[in-house]
Amino acid sequence: MLDKVLVANRGEIAVRVIRACRELGIRSVAVYSEADRHAVHVLGADEAVLLGPAPAAESYLRVDRILDAARERGCDGVHPGYGFLAERAPFARAVEEAGLVFVGPSADAIEAMGDKTRARQAMMDAGVPVVPGTAHALADAQDAAAVAEEVGYPVMLKAAAGGGGKGMRVVYESKELASAFESASREALGAFGDGSVYIERFLEGPRHIEIQVLADNHGNIIHLGERECSIQRRHQKMIEEAPSPVVTGPLRDRMGHAAVAAARAVGYRNAGTVEFLYQDGEFYFLEMNTRIQVEHPVTELVTGIDLVRWQLRVAAGEVLTVRQEDVGWTGHAIECRITSEDPYRGFLPSAGRIELLQPPGGPGVRWDGGVQEGDEVSLYYDPLLAKLVVHAATREAAMDRMVRALGELRVVGVETSAPFHRRVLLEPDFRSGDLDIRYIDQHPELLEREVTLATAQSLAVTAALLAEEDRQRRTARRAERGASSTTSRWRDMGWR
Amino acid sequence: MRYYVTVDGKSMEVDLTGDAPVVDGQRVEAELSRVPGTPTLHLLADGRSHVVVATRRDRHNLELHLNGERYDVEVVDERTRAILAMTGQGAIAKGPRPVRAPMPGLVVRVNVTPGDQVEAGQSIVIIEAMKMENDLKAEAAGVVERVATEAGQAVEKGAVLVEFRAEAEDG
Repeated sequence: MLDKVLVANRGEIAVRVIRACRELGIRSVAVYSEADRHAVHVLGADEAVLLGPAPAAESYLRVDRILDAARERGCDGVHPGYGFLAERAPFARAVEEAGLVFVGPSADAIEAMGDKTRARQAMMDAGVPVVPGTAHALADAQDAAAVAEEVGYPVMLKAAAGGGGKGMRVVYESKELASAFESASREALGAFGDGSVYIERFLEGPRHIEIQVLADNHGNIIHLGERECSIQRRHQKMIEEAPSPVVTGPLRDRMGHAAVAAARAVGYRNAGTVEFLYQDGEFYFLEMNTRIQVEHPVTELVTGIDLVRWQLRVAAGEVLTVRQEDVGWTGHAIECRITSEDPYRGFLPSAGRIELLQPPGGPGVRWDGGVQEGDEVSLYYDPLLAKLVVHAATREAAMDRMVRALGELRVVGVETSAPFHRRVLLEPDFRSGDLDIRYIDQHPELLEREVTLATAQSLAVTAALLAEEDRQRRTARRAERGASSTTSRWRDMGWR
Repeated sequence: MRYYVTVDGKSMEVDLTGDAPVVDGQRVEAELSRVPGTPTLHLLADGRSHVVVATRRDRHNLELHLNGERYDVEVVDERTRAILAMTGQGAIAKGPRPVRAPMPGLVVRVNVTPGDQVEAGQSIVIIEAMKMENDLKAEAAGVVERVATEAGQAVEKGAVLVEFRAEAEDG
């Protein structure tokens, strides 16, 4: 087993890894930026090392400093979390060359899946179904136009080095193609340092369904079933669940088999996720995320398998003792990504100090948080504050449990996405499982608020009583100074 | 004292002169108590339980959290309201609040010019921050008074980008 692991991340995933380390008796080393001096992951780890100033490029993305810290603190492993350096092959390679264990796949596997055009080709060779389109980067707008005619409109332009929605454009007609190609390429260049773009047929209303895989260094690969992640905004997932409302046992077997084949094709080890688009009974390889994912807890809850614990164990060379036939699924799990974004203002990022934070609790509720009261939420990093995850016997019970848990959550100081989640969990199409990746666009009413008369009255009474309290306090103060006394009508109410 | 409370553009009168608050003519048996040392309040209104977290923003503005939603609430007592009305600061139709940069970022595009009539929810400015483009929209209908930025400008958090006045009748 590993002895000491550096966690090259921040926020909830750093906390998640540090917790797993502690349960396994592995010492943990947090790294942090100047903005994160008092962050939860820093307070929670056994050791902590400052990397540099707040911007990620000067701290969490500084490979040299992270490796120096790992060496200085005597680490034998590095866990990258997700985001930041997690899917950068040179980082994985540098970690291994420094004689440390990278808790994740090999640099070669990251490279093979990171180049989306290469990955498409590898998947076609491995017999994994892919969306019709090109496997090569497009030369220019003319090339793009020619290929688009072959594939058939609508088409999707995608960054070859991409992910997270950046460098993506949907094009419905040929006349829009040239400008879309230029802007996708420009955005890809800015975000990934590589402007390569390729084309796929655009599926109008697919579901996003992904398969979790787990592999050791000895050739054992299993899948842990699917996650439904169709509730997305600008290709960013917002709600995930397992199992998917549309995946039957036989479909799960087929998708799981394809995911394992995909992983095997690139010599995959550790935890990973094969993403598929699903439409009309067919599924198509989208990409593989070569890391632990944000939404891994829903799989943990329905399978009872601790993914981060297994990441650390297989990275240390242990044999994966869970066989495919041992994997079973119990009940239903849902995750809401609680972000510092304002759903009533187009999910605008919100910054500020967290004045109050009361996470929900009770049966079947898991709060994977990365913030605490007093934290300054800045715009330097991802807006994910915490993941609220619930588990219950059925999908309906899980939805009811999530609504209950969201009702208990209180956050003051920054806007959060929580009101939006609550509305989705109560919305009839979501409740019936009738959803695809267009869900949010098709339900604009979820982004508007109606204040009911009862709510307005409660707020009005509260505000008036508080104002009256203030007025009486001012009057009392003046009276004390004037050595006379006044009696307050509201004094005996006990709310001061 | 009577208070005038505004929530999401809806105005209500709360009369505290009697033995129980009266909201827009409707009597509410109300008891408000504070969890000691916290901003958490417990309101019992006609026996129904509400947990409200209150944060004061300034003399007349509060932030109230109730059932997972955050509300900006304005509360003005009758005397203050009378003074504001006399000095002309009262219920005069103002335009939508200015569009401000919600974060440091780069202005990608300005979609309006002075004099433009805008609708609530209309895209006013596109700003890029965190490698994502964010669409800043008008909160209400109005007329563009001033554009204080241009494409390509780097702006600080809170910078006023576009100002408005109320719709045509008074302008």
